[in-house]
Amino acid sequence: MKISFQALSRHVDLQGITSAQLGDVLPMLGLEVEAVHTFGLAPLPSVVVGEIVSFEKHPKADRLSVCQVNVGEATLRQIVCGAKNFKAGDRVPVALPGTVMPGGFEIKVSKLREVDSAGMMCSSEELGLGKGEDGLLILTPQQPAIGTPLNKLFGTPDTVLEISVTPNRGDCLGLRGVARDVAAALGRSLLPQKVQTPSGSVATPSAQDAVQFVRSTTPICPYYTLRTLTDVKVGPSPDWLRRDLEAAGLRPINNVVDITNWVLLETGQPLHAFDAQKVQGGIEVRTARAGETLTLLDGKTVTLDSSVCVIADAQRPLVVAGVMGGADSGVTAPTTTILLEAAWFQPGEIRRSAKRLGVSTDSSHRFARDVDPAGVELASRLATDLLVAHAGAKVVGPAVAVGKPPRAEVKITLSAGYVAGKLGTEVSDDEVTQTLRRLGFTVQAVAGGLEVIVPSFRSDVLRPIDLVEEFIRIHGTDKVPVGRPRAPLPGEEDATSAIFIREVSQRLVGAGFTECFHYSLRTTAELERTLGTVGAAALALENPLTADQTHIRASLVPGLAGALAANVSVHADPRGLFEVGTVFRPQADGTVKEFLAIAVAQLASPITRSWQTRPDFDSLQAKRLLQDIAGLAGVAEHRLSYATLEGGLWQTSHAATMQDRGRVAEGAFGTLSLRWTRELGLKGAVVAAEILLPRSAFKDARKMARFEAFSSFPPSTKDVAVIVPQTVSAGEVETRVRQAATKAAGKEFGLEAVICFDVFKGPGLPPETKSLAFEIHWRHASRTLTDEETNQALNAVITALEKGAGWTVRR
Amino acid sequence: MQQQLAQLVATARQESASVTTRAELEAFKARVVGPHGSLTQVMKGMATLSKEDRPVVGKLINEAKKAVEEILAALLQKVEDAEIASALSAPLDPTLPSPDAPAGNLHPLSRTRERILNSFRKLGFTVAEGPEVETEWYCFDALNTPGDHPARDMQDTLYLPKTFRSADAPRRQEEAMLLRTHTSSVQVRTMLSRRPPFRIVAPGRCFRRDAVDATHSANFHQVEGLWIDRGVTLADLRGVLDFFVKETFGADAEIRLRPSFFPFTEPSFEMDLRSPNLGRLSNRWLEIMGCGLVDPKVLELCGLDPQEWSGLAFGLGLERIAMLVHGIDDIRHFYQNDVRFLRQFA
Repeated sequence: MKISFQALSRHVDLQGITSAQLGDVLPMLGLEVEAVHTFGLAPLPSVVVGEIVSFEKHPKADRLSVCQVNVGEATLRQIVCGAKNFKAGDRVPVALPGTVMPGGFEIKVSKLREVDSAGMMCSSEELGLGKGEDGLLILTPQQPAIGTPLNKLFGTPDTVLEISVTPNRGDCLGLRGVARDVAAALGRSLLPQKVQTPSGSVATPSAQDAVQFVRSTTPICPYYTLRTLTDVKVGPSPDWLRRDLEAAGLRPINNVVDITNWVLLETGQPLHAFDAQKVQGGIEVRTARAGETLTLLDGKTVTLDSSVCVIADAQRPLVVAGVMGGADSGVTAPTTTILLEAAWFQPGEIRRSAKRLGVSTDSSHRFARDVDPAGVELASRLATDLLVAHAGAKVVGPAVAVGKPPRAEVKITLSAGYVAGKLGTEVSDDEVTQTLRRLGFTVQAVAGGLEVIVPSFRSDVLRPIDLVEEFIRIHGTDKVPVGRPRAPLPGEEDATSAIFIREVSQRLVGAGFTECFHYSLRTTAELERTLGTVGAAALALENPLTADQTHIRASLVPGLAGALAANVSVHADPRGLFEVGTVFRPQADGTVKEFLAIAVAQLASPITRSWQTRPDFDSLQAKRLLQDIAGLAGVAEHRLSYATLEGGLWQTSHAATMQDRGRVAEGAFGTLSLRWTRELGLKGAVVAAEILLPRSAFKDARKMARFEAFSSFPPSTKDVAVIVPQTVSAGEVETRVRQAATKAAGKEFGLEAVICFDVFKGPGLPPETKSLAFEIHWRHASRTLTDEETNQALNAVITALEKGAGWTVRR
Repeated sequence: MQQQLAQLVATARQESASVTTRAELEAFKARVVGPHGSLTQVMKGMATLSKEDRPVVGKLINEAKKAVEEILAALLQKVEDAEIASALSAPLDPTLPSPDAPAGNLHPLSRTRERILNSFRKLGFTVAEGPEVETEWYCFDALNTPGDHPARDMQDTLYLPKTFRSADAPRRQEEAMLLRTHTSSVQVRTMLSRRPPFRIVAPGRCFRRDAVDATHSANFHQVEGLWIDRGVTLADLRGVLDFFVKETFGADAEIRLRPSFFPFTEPSFEMDLRSPNLGRLSNRWLEIMGCGLVDPKVLELCGLDPQEWSGLAFGLGLERIAMLVHGIDDIRHFYQNDVRFLRQFA
């Protein structure tokens, strides 16, 4: 809302207060100042009225004129000018050299295309008066004396502060409400509002009224008033009124409309004026009938239904109640009799109507935030005064009022010391009383505390805590002391997932990966690549804003692959990238589950050359990272199993899934689909890995590890090489070896490790087979193992592999 | 005898010069001190000597033996040095670059988050988390923002279809599912699941239906704070925020609480920050976060008795803080992941 300093001064004495000081006061009352403008002509003492005595075309520039200008000096000034809208003898504003224009530009004696110019003739815009006609501001009609400082022709400039009003403060959508807060903050009194039109109303129209009936048949409008004014002469508004509207950013239309708007700005109460001739029979406030149509002021025709409340005559709806007037019942030049409406509507209903019609007007904005029911009549009387004074209107009698101003009196009991207790500092009940009274609250000391009656314009204040806010706003938040922190509570620890995120991030940073953050909202194409069409559909947004942000993400890998490509394209070596974040996956039971995902991606071979090369980043390095991350999340390595995977983001048979037996963690690693990464612009292969952990993985606080004793005797190691068909996975063979080696050790000693140290395919082996060699470590807890024991154990392993699994052991 | 020994030592010394490998060393050793070695032969001759001569000759032999041992020790040193030298590659040039990639680094938003969480941890606030897909009840209703409340106008929300069912945030009734617009929903979940007193901070990703530009992002991050206890006051709020700001922006940063409105706090404030160390944003009030005392209605909705319990809450934007701390002028940098940006904050 735009607050004119001059208009505000009518409501509160601002003597000695600058607009800059006001700009500091308002935010601390909860009225944020978003912008400050000068309205009118800023003080420009060296801009004077000049007369263009003569002019000729500039010898070197077609678009410029060289003018001889009389500014009341002994000699004429030569000024070069680019405007075209003047003739000899015109009077115009002239900025003399040394003037700093409102835009900050300083006028100097200069040469324009080699011709001397000693000043500048000004346009409306250059003077900061807003966009006027093209070219110079022509002052000729007013015939101001040559040499008169321009400021003498224009009034004192005003300052307009644009404030944002929070939804709870409907009362501050009128100047009066803002003034009340300012007065309270400055400790000054609110100036009285003068009204001539008497108070009072009648329940039914009299013969003089221009309507036969006024009624409200809907609870949306519990209070409706209508006043007939005759002999209205529609015409322009007086200058002061136009000025006030323009300062507030409204366009003057005619005196009747301007007066209703002016009263709205003053009080926050929207009013509406009907042309009585266009109203048939009377006025009824009712819910609209399904299918009724109404052409609104903005020219749009809307089809109504029972969700909208209208002001109708005997025939048809005229106005969407509280939102917008109709195109054909408003005041126009020939109007002579008007019906002035002032009413109160249920805020929630007006908000719904406005939303339903997709409009927000000055009126609906205020009704939706609750206007003061007790201010309805006052607004009508203020407008009547002005219509009488400035539109020649005659009052035929009291207003017709149906219903009563709603709202019961709100009385709040503040127990002694309540406010102080919430602030955490000493304030006396007397201070509280004085402060609340300044805001219009009625406060009385009662046994055990204070009794506060809330004024009708503050529907947001209902509870003791609301009064604490009122008090501190005016008392000043700077008086709240800086409390000394209390000691922490024992036994509190971060969520396990938060600790995990910290650890896993540090681990990956240590491994050379740089962390990325990508948007959670992704494209349809990406989701379809990740999950297929059906899976993708489960993650679509209801109301996406843009075509490239239609789905919630199912994987961090596409983001990382994109980041690799983007960095490579700008010749920045991305090295390894990682991301930690939430992803979503549709589940078999039809729900969508959130997972904490950790993903890494790296080009298989780096783009930066080095004097010494390191091996490529490969899928098994990615696997190692995943195993470590699973371990950090409490999923032991031996619980993980693997299977090759096909398609999607991954390159078939060069990538695998990882899963743990308890289905706590799932993941994938390997080479990304080459077709896809090439589409992204990456020439080489990308190796990536991603692990997904559900919330349930982090339910429990982590257990402290317990110490386990270990043997101080040396291990015995034996090698075994197995020839298996190429289709058999290394994991399967290792599991067999492990089982056999465990069994062979029996209860006497233990298996410590099975390490695959050689994989061989090629000459010397039967076709379609491969050889896998393992080193087996056994160890005894309390002595060194004998050769005999280990040889026996090895033989048992060999037998198990050959007889049990049907494989050949190399001898 | 003396002469013979001197000759023996001299010969050994002479021959030792040509020994370079361990095999040659072993052969040489055998020639001198082996069972048939020259010195061994002499020592065997001791037995034939008279009682009187023995001490004199013994002394001579010992001296010769010592000399030979010294020769052998020196030889061993020389041979080992040669072996080690051959086991090494070319000498180190310490100025050559390591071919390995350096350590990575955290994203500036993660670093900022961890710094902030660390500050609050010192005040006893521990991290709590909640789902990113929420139901309207947790995001709005429980926070005293019913359907027709004008405050819902303040946030343009991304919704999920009616058919969407979240495994992590089941509906309470038939309310709509959405992407949370603030981390304040974690306040609700915490109050419903834990017994006060507690102090939590909830970092997390939030969503608005905003077009992306230099200051807007469809997703962004907040850190939410909630302290529920008996007798929590505005002085506590100011104390907590003052501590946080001085931790993050230095001891000469100041704060002010500017009255504002949020449905879930009463009284509500915007906290403004002013610091002399923020480049071109120095020495002016900057809006940093919303805060206030938890509205009694919210306590009630979350099953806490407002007569007994009170609380303070605050929510700050991670991007905003990171931009101020590091002088970053465009929020999109955080999501473009150009490593030339990411590596500036290591």
